[in-house]
This record gives sequence, C-alpha cells and structure tokens, in this order.
Amino acid sequence: MNTTLTGAVAIYLAQVRAELSDLPPGELEDVLEDVSGHLTEVAAEFGTEPTITALQERLGSPRQYADELRTAAGYPPRTEPAGQGHLDTGWRALRWGLIAGTVGPFFVATGIFAWSRDETAFFGMLGFAVLFVSASLGVRALRGSDPRTVLDNPRGARGADVVRGWVDQIPPNIRTELVTIGQPVWWVARGVIGAGGFFALFGATSVTVVGSVAGAAVSIWIGRKTQRDRRWLWYVVPLNIVAAIAIPSFLAAAYAGASFGFFNNYNDYRGSNSNYNPPPSGLQLDGNQVTNIYPFDAQGNQVDVRLYDQDGNPISLDLQDCAANYGQVSRESKSNEFPQAVVVPDENGDTTEETCKDSTKAPFAPPPAPATRTTPAPLPNGRPSAAASAKASPSPGVTLTVKPTR
Amino acid sequence: MDTSQLLKGVLDLAVLAVLRDADGYGYDVLRRLRAAGLEEVADASVYGTLRRLFAAGALTSYVQPSEEGPHRKYYGLNKTGRELLARSTETWNHFADTMSVLLLEKEAA
Repeated sequence: MNTTLTGAVAIYLAQVRAELSDLPPGELEDVLEDVSGHLTEVAAEFGTEPTITALQERLGSPRQYADELRTAAGYPPRTEPAGQGHLDTGWRALRWGLIAGTVGPFFVATGIFAWSRDETAFFGMLGFAVLFVSASLGVRALRGSDPRTVLDNPRGARGADVVRGWVDQIPPNIRTELVTIGQPVWWVARGVIGAGGFFALFGATSVTVVGSVAGAAVSIWIGRKTQRDRRWLWYVVPLNIVAAIAIPSFLAAAYAGASFGFFNNYNDYRGSNSNYNPPPSGLQLDGNQVTNIYPFDAQGNQVDVRLYDQDGNPISLDLQDCAANYGQVSRESKSNEFPQAVVVPDENGDTTEETCKDSTKAPFAPPPAPATRTTPAPLPNGRPSAAASAKASPSPGVTLTVKPTR
Repeated sequence: MDTSQLLKGVLDLAVLAVLRDADGYGYDVLRRLRAAGLEEVADASVYGTLRRLFAAGALTSYVQPSEEGPHRKYYGLNKTGRELLARSTETWNHFADTMSVLLLEKEAA
C-alpha cells in the first residue's frame, strides 16, 4: 500500500511485522497491508496522532495483536529458536547492549575530561571502540530475531517494568510533548553538537558549520531509521548516552571559556594558551630564560650597572649568590644590579655552605670591542668622544643610571 | 460464559454474513460486526479471519482508492464463499437448534 505511516503507528506496525517475520514474504506483505489500513483507521479514531501507549491500550501489545492475527488466520505457530537458546539469545544481546551503553560512554567521558591531549585521544578511541564492538556483538547475538526478545527473560522483563513505571510517572500530556517536540530537538541537537564538535577539532570554522548541518541531517535519518529497525538501538542508545554527557560539557565549556580538560588540550594544540599557561615569569630573550646580565663598556671592560625599563621600573632578577643559596634572608631576594654574583663551584664541582664562593666575573671570554659600531667617529673639532673620555678615566665601579622618563 | 470464547468458533460465519450483502474493507467489516452486536470481537482476529477465508478461496480481494486517505483493500464473497456461507448457516442452525433443545430439556427436568 502506498501509505506513509508516521510516529507511533509506524512503530506499532514495525513491531507487528517483526512478530510475523516468519511468514512467507508474499503473505506477510498482504496481511501487513490490512494491518496498516487498520492502524490508520484506529489512529483516526483518536483525532490526534496517538501515542504508542494509547495504541497498546486500544489494541493490546504488538505481540498480542500479532498472536491474535496468527491464530485467526491459521498461520503456523511462530518458528523461534528453541526454548533455552531463545532465552540465551536475548540475554546475550542485552548484555552486550549494556556493555556498549556503560563501558563505552565511561571511557569516552574519561577522554573528554582527561587533562592531556594524549589521554583524550586514547580514552576517546578506546571508548568508541568498546561501544561499537559491543554494539555489533549485541546485534549479532540477536541472530536476526526480533530485538524485543531481550525482554523475554526475567531480568529483561523486570527492567522493562521499572522503566515503564518511570515513564508512567510523567503526566500523559507532557509525555506527548516530550515525544513530539523533545525528540526532534534532541535529534538535531545531538547531530549538530556531535558533528560540530568533531569537525571543530580538525577543521576550520566553515567546515564546522557544514559538518554540523550534515550531522543534524544524519542524526534525524538515524532517528527515523531506528523507529523502523529496532536493532539500531544497540548503537543509538550508547551514542545517545555519549551525547548526553558531551553536550552539557560542550555547552559548559563554551560558557566558561574552554578552560578545562579536553577543551584546554585542544587549545594548547592550536597554540592558544591564554587561559591555562600563565605568562612565563622572569626575564626572557627570544623565549630563553635570562638569568644574569654581564654589561661591558665600549672598550670591552666589564662594568656594574643598575637596569630600568622604559617606565622606570627596575629590571630585577632573583639573587643567586652564596647568601641567597645559604640562608641570609634579611635582604631583598631580587636585585637590578648587574652583573649579579653567582656561585662558583670548587675544583670538584661541589658547593657547600662553608666553602661557598661567588663571583661577578663573566663565565665567558669578553668579546672584543666592536670598534666600528659602538665607538662614535671623532668629532670634527678633534675633541674625544664621550666613549673616549670614559676610557681616559676608567672607573670600574661606575654605576650607569637610566633616568626614568616620567 | 465468555462470549469471546463462543465467537472464536463462529467468527468465520459472522464475517461471511456481514459480507453477504456488500463487499467491505477490514475496518468496515469490524464496524458491521460491532453494529450487529458482536462487541467483544477482537480487531486482529477479524483481519486474520479475512486472510484465512481469502486463502481458502472463499473471498475475492481488490484495492479501491478512497477519498479521505490511503487505498483500501476490499473483500467480497465469491461463489465458493456463498456456498460456504450457505453450508455454515445450515450447520449453525442445526447446532443452535440442538443446543436450544438441550437447554430446554434441562430446564424442564
């Protein structure tokens, strides 16, 4: 029949079809034509689109419906895997489903909140691997039987009762709203965030936008597909659990400025460290730590100076002489006088408190004075330049003082 | 006594009877049975009965478009169906008479 059924009616029909799946294909299609017509008429009785619960109250469960039909039509009893094997099938499929739905998402969540990029990748991959492998094992354990056989054992039935109890707590009108409004919203949200998040890791913004839209479309398609073939549930339920963990995390991260776990790792990778790594302290030159400064005058003589920046703030470094290393505390720990004295190890390469020596002597050979650049040419009147006069009266203890500009 | 138990035995006859005067689609048959007073009839068993009678060659089947929705599959009696209805009616009448007599004798006794 050329009817397109939607929602609860389609689900109910699919479940009846699953119950009758052992019929010869031709007869199955013929009888389902009738059933589909019947469900359409029954749905029309309700006025609005009925919920699955309403349909079940009116017609009995899909299994009861199919059994009635089978008896009245004189079809042979359902051919099922014999007794115990049937139970085992259901339980095994359910067990793999449970593993896919708990262990997989657990590792993925561990990955999301892990502090290093390597861990994120490792646990994320592990989680998804566990999820997909157990889900496929679950579907395989079904061996083509109706997915609802998983509830045909004591544990499964008890679980179903518990869930039905929770669902019954929700007022019927809210339940309808949840399904009619909540479900499409959820489908779109999980698709957009899932695909968007994935592409945001590996692609540019435009790729992310296109990826999100595609993700939403795929997610809706999967949702519709799952309504028809319930075996998809083995994959969809665990993935939904992952999405239920990931979506709040993404939203929280977007709100809080992407400053934890996975998002932080992501930022590090992309070269932005605004939130996590504090700016390095101390004095740096091209990224290397500067621990001491050895000033030389134009003639290559080491001189003592005090350093200030353009605002008149002293450029100070931590003291590293013997006093700083061995206890003397009643003084500033920093100084802007350079060169600073540093500890000189004794001939054995050791230093002790008693024998500690420190020195301001440069630990390298002073460079030859670059005469052409640093020595100004003599003035036309033959008077020596400033540098020359400094040479005339060398004063090793001179302190150069840079005046603050304000 | 549960009417639905009795119905199981005579549902064939009831379905044939409501199709005697006019062809009908499944839901239509269901409605006619209910209107005739067979309230307890289960939806699915009517559809199953139609399939069985069709498979037994007692019914014809054809699809007709409807104004307000999907196409509908109609069922109607063919020659075999009419003969089956006649035979079944006889059987039923005989059975019903026997039962009536039996129950009357009991009452009298």
